[in-house]
Amino acid sequence: MNAFSQTWLVAVRDFRERATSRAFQLSTAITALLVGGFIVVPGFFIEDGPPMWDVGYVGTAPAALGQAVAAAATEPDTAVTVTPVADAGAARSGVLDGTYDVAVDGHDILTGPATPQELSALLAATAGGLDLSRQAREMGLDAADLESLLAAGRYQVVELEPADDEEDGNRVVAFFGVVFLFVSIVTYGQWILIGVVEEKASRVVEVVLGAVRPHRLLTGKVIGIGALGLGQLLLIGTIAIVLASRSTNLELPEATAATALAIVVWFVLGFALYATAYAAAGSLVSRQEDAQNAAFPLTLVLMAAYFIASFSFTGDNVVLRVAALVPLTAPMTMPIRMATGDAAGWEVLLSLVLMVTSTWLLIRLAGRIYAGGLLRVGSRVKLREAWRGAEA
Amino acid sequence: MEGATVLEIESLHKRYGDVVALDDCSFDVPRGTLLGFLGPNGAGKTTAMRTVFGLVRPDSGRVRWDGAAIDSDVRLRFGYMPEQRGLYQRMKIHDQLVYFGRLHGMTRPAAQASATRWLGEFGLNDRIDSRLEALSHGNQQRVQLAAAMVHEPELLVLDEPFSGLDPIGVEAMAGILQRQAADGVAVVFSSHQLDIVEDLCDDVIVVNKGRVVLAGAVADLRSRSPRRYLDVETAGGDNAWADGIAGSSVVMRNGSRIRLSVDADLDLAAVVAAASAAGEIRHFSFEPPNLSEVFREAVGQ
Repeated sequence: MNAFSQTWLVAVRDFRERATSRAFQLSTAITALLVGGFIVVPGFFIEDGPPMWDVGYVGTAPAALGQAVAAAATEPDTAVTVTPVADAGAARSGVLDGTYDVAVDGHDILTGPATPQELSALLAATAGGLDLSRQAREMGLDAADLESLLAAGRYQVVELEPADDEEDGNRVVAFFGVVFLFVSIVTYGQWILIGVVEEKASRVVEVVLGAVRPHRLLTGKVIGIGALGLGQLLLIGTIAIVLASRSTNLELPEATAATALAIVVWFVLGFALYATAYAAAGSLVSRQEDAQNAAFPLTLVLMAAYFIASFSFTGDNVVLRVAALVPLTAPMTMPIRMATGDAAGWEVLLSLVLMVTSTWLLIRLAGRIYAGGLLRVGSRVKLREAWRGAEA
Repeated sequence: MEGATVLEIESLHKRYGDVVALDDCSFDVPRGTLLGFLGPNGAGKTTAMRTVFGLVRPDSGRVRWDGAAIDSDVRLRFGYMPEQRGLYQRMKIHDQLVYFGRLHGMTRPAAQASATRWLGEFGLNDRIDSRLEALSHGNQQRVQLAAAMVHEPELLVLDEPFSGLDPIGVEAMAGILQRQAADGVAVVFSSHQLDIVEDLCDDVIVVNKGRVVLAGAVADLRSRSPRRYLDVETAGGDNAWADGIAGSSVVMRNGSRIRLSVDADLDLAAVVAAASAAGEIRHFSFEPPNLSEVFREAVGQ
């Protein structure tokens, strides 16, 4: 019987037994609800539909003002209502109490805390333009003269590279992805830990190891539980992205899909590495109560990797650059550097190679610790004893 | 149908720190035999069994199957029931047996058929969708045994299969083991219930402190013993007549009845004469030791 089919059988069993458990289904549903709610609920408190702007105007407004502002607005179907106001005092109080979004008093554009920036800017430009053309007509210039006059002073902005806030947007999406990845590795790593201790505590492991070599059992467990975790991650991630892209109050940067893909890839790699280590830790103890203690060093390393990832908000730096290559920290730092475009191609490639090699090595090492630890019952087995206790 | 040796245990040594678990332990198991693997607690029985399954790596010595070293493929033809019972508590029992069948290389349909057959055999066919944790202790034990046999192994190694069973369970277990042996399976089991072993086994191995101290057919071991048990009851009188028998020790004294451990070459005619002088002989037996007595002699307790 080949190694693959046994590993596969172990993986399928671990996947199926957990996927059909009430606890898993419940936790998936609750997480999906929480994530979905987190994205959708704020939308209820924000007005939907195209903006409706109220402009107060002291005196008589130029007839075309409202229409011109509406036409220049970025949102289609923007509606602008211009209301005449008796005097400057009424205009001020109207803006401050929210009756008007903005008011015009002579050459003053009166804005309050709730005034949309786009509106005040458009209003200044449009009103100014209308004033100019009226003045030009009074000076006897025709439309063509006015146009050439205006064209002489027109400058345009040419964007050579997207502004930093687009890169910041990618960074934010990647960082949320990394938070998600961190939580997932911790959660599914715990499943591995619990699963291994459960097999050891119930003694079933002796029967299983009579037929299956330890590193195959280990690999099967990591694949089975990892696949389940990935499934949950994809389900919740898809819900999050679909809801966010349909929501009017959140704007996703263009690179979101690529970032999401990178997160998935790094989840798979990171999970394989950490899960293997969690399994080895679990094999050293006989009771669930001791499991957390055995896994503590690992949790510490994960936390450290996460904190290094959060350094990324200060921009790219040497710590981040190194961390993105080191296998234990790469899953949480490399996706961010990839999203912001800071990582060179060779860095990504090197990081991937290091990651895969070290995971393979760890599986062989952990397999031996696993084998040595699994049949020792009672107090916690020392790492060295486990190592000596078995053949891989 | 006793066959040729298939499992060879060759001078296994294993130490755990200062504790010697196996000390030059060697024995053979033929096909189609029920072999009782006996020894006091801590004698190394479990360690020896685990070595067969590669669960313990011996410091030296080897285990061979059919004349060749055992690899992970050969091991799939073995069935094992460890002393510490354990299966997946929350898994349905039929699924569980299918899983173990397939881990041992069976196809899915074959594993399903075998799982169904064994659960039927144990009267559990209406419980196939029950989780293990929902079963009684005795039924869990049956599922454990089924898990060791679902893949129709050629070697069955059972660590204390009779412990925790009621008399009916013991009888059922004994019947199953006998049928397995009759089908040509090499069956090795450890037990402290020596009366069961004596009834059931063709051969026994006794280990003490990691060494095999006795091996052979039960009847041979009994008759080979240098000791005999003399059991005499006379009508009336006391049992003082027995005090003069050389090399004897009293096992039990009860009024006019006495049980003595004596040398095998005892002059029986003299004993009969002495006993009849004390009173009419009501009961007289001169027998080799039973297995428990052989065991105690062998391990020096």
